[in-house]
Amino acid sequence: MGVVTASTGHASLVGMGESVLLRGEDTARSVVGSCIGLVLYHRRAKVAAMSHIVLPEAAGRPGLPGKFADTAIPYMIDQLAKEGAHTSGLVAILAGGARMFGKPGPLQIGETNAAAVTAAIENLGITIRGTSIGGGKGRRLSFDCATGALTVEVAGESPQVL
Amino acid sequence: MHGHIYPDPAYHILHQVFQLATDNASTAMCRWTHGRVTLSLDRVDELPLESVATALEVGDELLTMVILTIDGEDNGQLIITFDELNGRRLAASLLHRDVCTEPEWTSLEMSALNETGNILGCAYLGALTHLVSAELVPSPPYFVQDFGASVLEQALMSQALTEDKVLVCRTGFHRDGENLNWNVIFVPGAALREKLESAVSMAE
Repeated sequence: MGVVTASTGHASLVGMGESVLLRGEDTARSVVGSCIGLVLYHRRAKVAAMSHIVLPEAAGRPGLPGKFADTAIPYMIDQLAKEGAHTSGLVAILAGGARMFGKPGPLQIGETNAAAVTAAIENLGITIRGTSIGGGKGRRLSFDCATGALTVEVAGESPQVL
Repeated sequence: MHGHIYPDPAYHILHQVFQLATDNASTAMCRWTHGRVTLSLDRVDELPLESVATALEVGDELLTMVILTIDGEDNGQLIITFDELNGRRLAASLLHRDVCTEPEWTSLEMSALNETGNILGCAYLGALTHLVSAELVPSPPYFVQDFGASVLEQALMSQALTEDKVLVCRTGFHRDGENLNWNVIFVPGAALREKLESAVSMAE
């Protein structure tokens, strides 16, 4: 569990710190609060990787590659490259980074997470196709590799397709 | 399902600690609901971060929750989860009214659930306070309707900063002997977890 897995037509649930690789008709779901759900998608190859990023940087801490922004993104790119999906054809979609319960405090890492992921993606020259960032509520994410659509649901609001 | 990786004696003592907290909360809850609702300890586990939500069956559904946070160095979070129907049934029984069918919760309903959280949380944390010799004072209860996994994720953040396995405790509810779809999930922060574990190792 927790590593990129090859799947075909499967529905994956992406837990905290996990990354999954999706092809063809695969779908993936995740629920994020202050974490970031990041999708890197190659439209022509119909391949994508999705990570549930918990913290901005590893700094020697234990965890799966998908747990930290600075390890998740290189890992996803590496896995996608093995599938023939190179960085130049990728787009990024990201959602999450909420300030849960509307409270301040050292554990409110949402904004820092969003900034770290955005900066890393921009540094790689990958186009950010859509974002749903911030606020004070969780998000339910569903990604469909066949269409490249990431559906974002927030409690009490209409779903948004990115 | 128990995925704990503690040595058996430590697990046994941790289980006893949370059993005591659960018993305290159960007594308080029983009084609050005129003897109808009790609690029992369901699981105490150290779980890989990525599988906590699945293991605790806090999936991607919307839940009604009352959250109490313990701020400061010995931080932690206590989350009481209800499905919509059972949450409203509890509020209605406490308010001696019929179950409300309006989509929006009234302030009175929210207040009834918050008060339940307050009573339960104070009793639960009171028991843990004796063990760790630190005063665990909960915040005022916070009513929220959100995806359960997103709230759990935030509660796990303190331990996630330093660990890839997290200590969690889940307690179930019963009304008139029947299991209810309500839970109390207690997640200590990193420092409180350490205190709990060292108190346990001293008792071994």
